[in-house]
Amino acid sequence: MPGAAALAALLVSLTACGGPGTWDRAGFPQGVTKEAGIIQSLWNGAWIASLAVGVVVWGLILWACAFHRKRKNSGDALPPQVRYNLPIEILYTTVPIIMVAVFFYFTARDESTITAVSKNPDVKVHVEGFQWSWRFTSESGGKTVSVVGTPAKRPELVLPMNKSVQFELTSPDVAHSFWVPAFLFKRDVLPGVKNVFEIHTLDKPGIFAGRCAELCGVDHSRMLFTVKLVPQAEYDQYVNSQAGSAQ
Amino acid sequence: MKVQGWLFLLCGVFFAAVDLVYWFWSKEPTGTTALAISVGLALMIGYYLLYTARRIGDQPEDRKDAEISDGAGELGFFSPSSWWPLFLCLAVALMTVGFVIGWWMFIVGVFAVIMATIGFVFQYYRGHFTH
Amino acid sequence: MTAINEPIRVGVAPRSARKGTVIARWLSSTDHKVIGHLYLITSFVFFLIGGVMALIMRAELAQPGLEFVSNEQFNQLFTMHGTIMLLMFATPLFAGFANELMPLQIGAPDVAFPRLNMVSYWLYLFGSTIAVSGFFTPDGAASFGWTAYTPLSDAVSSPGLGGDLWIMGLSMSGIGTILGAVNFITTIICMRAPGMTMFRMPIFTWNILLTSILVLLAFPVLAAALLGLEADRHLGAHIFDSATGGAMLWQHLFWFFGHPEVYIIALPFFGIITEVLPVFSRKPIFGYMSLIGATIAIAGLSAAVWAHHMFVTGQVLLPFFSFMTFLIAVPTGVKFFNWIGTMWRGHITFASPMLFAVGFLVTFLFGGLTGIILASPPLDFQVSDSYFVVAHFHYVVFGTVVFAMFSGFYFWWPKFTGRMLNDTLGKWHFWTLFIGFHTTFLVQHWLGAEGFPRRYADYSAADGFTDLNVVSSVGAFILGASTLPFLYNVWRTWRHAPKVTVDDPWGFGNSLEWATSCPPPRHNFSRLPRIRSERPAFDLKNPHRLAPEKELEGTR
Repeated sequence: MPGAAALAALLVSLTACGGPGTWDRAGFPQGVTKEAGIIQSLWNGAWIASLAVGVVVWGLILWACAFHRKRKNSGDALPPQVRYNLPIEILYTTVPIIMVAVFFYFTARDESTITAVSKNPDVKVHVEGFQWSWRFTSESGGKTVSVVGTPAKRPELVLPMNKSVQFELTSPDVAHSFWVPAFLFKRDVLPGVKNVFEIHTLDKPGIFAGRCAELCGVDHSRMLFTVKLVPQAEYDQYVNSQAGSAQ
Repeated sequence: MKVQGWLFLLCGVFFAAVDLVYWFWSKEPTGTTALAISVGLALMIGYYLLYTARRIGDQPEDRKDAEISDGAGELGFFSPSSWWPLFLCLAVALMTVGFVIGWWMFIVGVFAVIMATIGFVFQYYRGHFTH
Repeated sequence: MTAINEPIRVGVAPRSARKGTVIARWLSSTDHKVIGHLYLITSFVFFLIGGVMALIMRAELAQPGLEFVSNEQFNQLFTMHGTIMLLMFATPLFAGFANELMPLQIGAPDVAFPRLNMVSYWLYLFGSTIAVSGFFTPDGAASFGWTAYTPLSDAVSSPGLGGDLWIMGLSMSGIGTILGAVNFITTIICMRAPGMTMFRMPIFTWNILLTSILVLLAFPVLAAALLGLEADRHLGAHIFDSATGGAMLWQHLFWFFGHPEVYIIALPFFGIITEVLPVFSRKPIFGYMSLIGATIAIAGLSAAVWAHHMFVTGQVLLPFFSFMTFLIAVPTGVKFFNWIGTMWRGHITFASPMLFAVGFLVTFLFGGLTGIILASPPLDFQVSDSYFVVAHFHYVVFGTVVFAMFSGFYFWWPKFTGRMLNDTLGKWHFWTLFIGFHTTFLVQHWLGAEGFPRRYADYSAADGFTDLNVVSSVGAFILGASTLPFLYNVWRTWRHAPKVTVDDPWGFGNSLEWATSCPPPRHNFSRLPRIRSERPAFDLKNPHRLAPEKELEGTR
């Protein structure tokens, strides 16, 4: 079908764009945590399986459209009026059950790993999401650093590489969501609820975008922040220069 | 009617099973309550249908060898046309907007709804149709 | 069967009545066919309004930094776009098709409660108008998303009248939907023609029954949540206070409604596809019984998966909802294979209804696959609340509702109006729609996975989202333009197309509506054929092909 060909051409041309996601990560940005690596593998596997299923089913549909059309010479004759076929129906009920069971197994396994929370993380970050920016209060080695932002001036959360970081999320007003695409993870920031999650940063320095991901009012799209991953030495320097600061 | 009765009962039993698993696993009250009420809804309708089916017996529509003439005779009364639905809903709209805008409009709306409901219900018992 | 005293006037144009008489007749009608017309027309108008809102949003997002609508207006746009499309277009469209066809398909003269039927329509029209009227208030329409999460939707964070009008308007129209469901269920239970057993009913009618059951399940919960919210906003109640768990309470209640709602808008349209495919493949439905079983499974399971919309809250039982959501994919897959089985080794012809049906199959498949991916919490944690989800639900909802709607329109237009729509214009319509839709939404999967959140009024050039947004916006305008051939088609054939003189212009109709005139008389049938299988109209035309009892496995 010409529509499908046009679509394929469009998709191929998109590879030229680059941008945060590439084909071998199937659209995801480069992950910067150990958990992100686990999620990336699951995502890749899920897409391979889904596209395989898709190719088979689209293939069947397009095959029927191409080869099971009414021929001009068939006149008024009807094709065999097949109403059912029990073996095939059983097959296409049980095979999908097996496939989702497998997917569920990998899901459950990875889910318990990435939602695990430890007793003594290296860094503890208290995240307060409010309309329309963030306050990050990091605590490590007995020292506290606090940064707060505005929609015009994004706050930057500095974190050390190769460490465990535990986040505690609260909100004084409406629901928000703490999303760092490079973590391949988000968690809602809800009033009246304390959410906790933990990540293990990797050896990947850089500055990464953070965005609010739950509609929270007029400046929802300006509730942005950044996460800066730095080597431990630089992090210690940063903490010492900021320690005790309340902005 | 029997088939639908069993359909609703089946749904009720399924929701009950899901509800039990959900409660014991999550202890989450909102979903548990919503599912429990759904069980009530399904069982109520299911039992009513089965009970009525038993009372009225076999119907022509459920017999595989029925002829169309088996359903001959009067089917029921079908109102040929009516302005009451429009009036009733205009009154409900007044009540709805009144709730938001001000109590004076809401009260007027309540009266209008009562009048329109009476008119709607008694349309075929009043005036020309008195008997 | 029914005592009909009006003369049959097929092929004879009635004296045209004065416009005022026609309007009065429509406004006071109790005829399910007229009420069906009202529903279809009104929901299509809302579709166009919601579509224009989408075009405004896509125009705003085409480039970073544009500001021809403010952030607040943008929030109102996506809130009302979602509300209109789901609750004022798709749901009433189900009521419209159900009204037009279900009584015909079961051989009934009308629905069980004709005046209540009209009440349902007016509640829908007036309730929806009230909800949308927020745009004419000083603070504008509701702007807290169609999901209205608390505390954003409470009186402190969203004090305007628009929010209150939205809540009360939707409560009113929700009651209309519930009453409609009651009517449909009662009609199907009590008013089938002799011999129309449950397992000879068309699949479309089965789907209407199951959808109506879901409506009974879901809409009261919505009404309760909405009225509770309005009590908080207007009467000083504290139902959804954050300190006592209000944020999560709202989400549970809303999604307990919200998930069955998306099946309410899917199942009737699956039913339409199931009616169209056999006619244009010249074969009966493949796997009639397993289709019914699959639909029952989907309906039942849909009440058990609601919190898969809440995975990222961190407050729901992930494995339970993930497992249930994976399960619901299985019956959906079964239906897919039944549809393909219907086409397989058939004599397929590609009139417009069939084109749209195949368009549905191709589109919904992809939406279903991304749905299975979203069912996995570790993957959902990244893509939830992003454009990936926006892409997913447009693939499944637009793919189902809009493609099947047009398939149903082209298919049943002669039955509704007595004239055929032009097939060439239909083909132009289909291809523009197909290309426009995929151009708009395919790239949004990528955008979401990369990190572009949903409900964002703007983004920055440094984000790297610009190119794909341009593609999506161009697609949106192609999609919008695709409506034009359809509107022209409707207008032109209304004026110029010849009237249909036969009961079944397609030639291979299966269900009872194809055994009466185009359009049917006031109480639907002057004569009913004998019913011995799930395709009584086909059997009437092909008595030599009536399969012996033992072969009719699907017609118990």
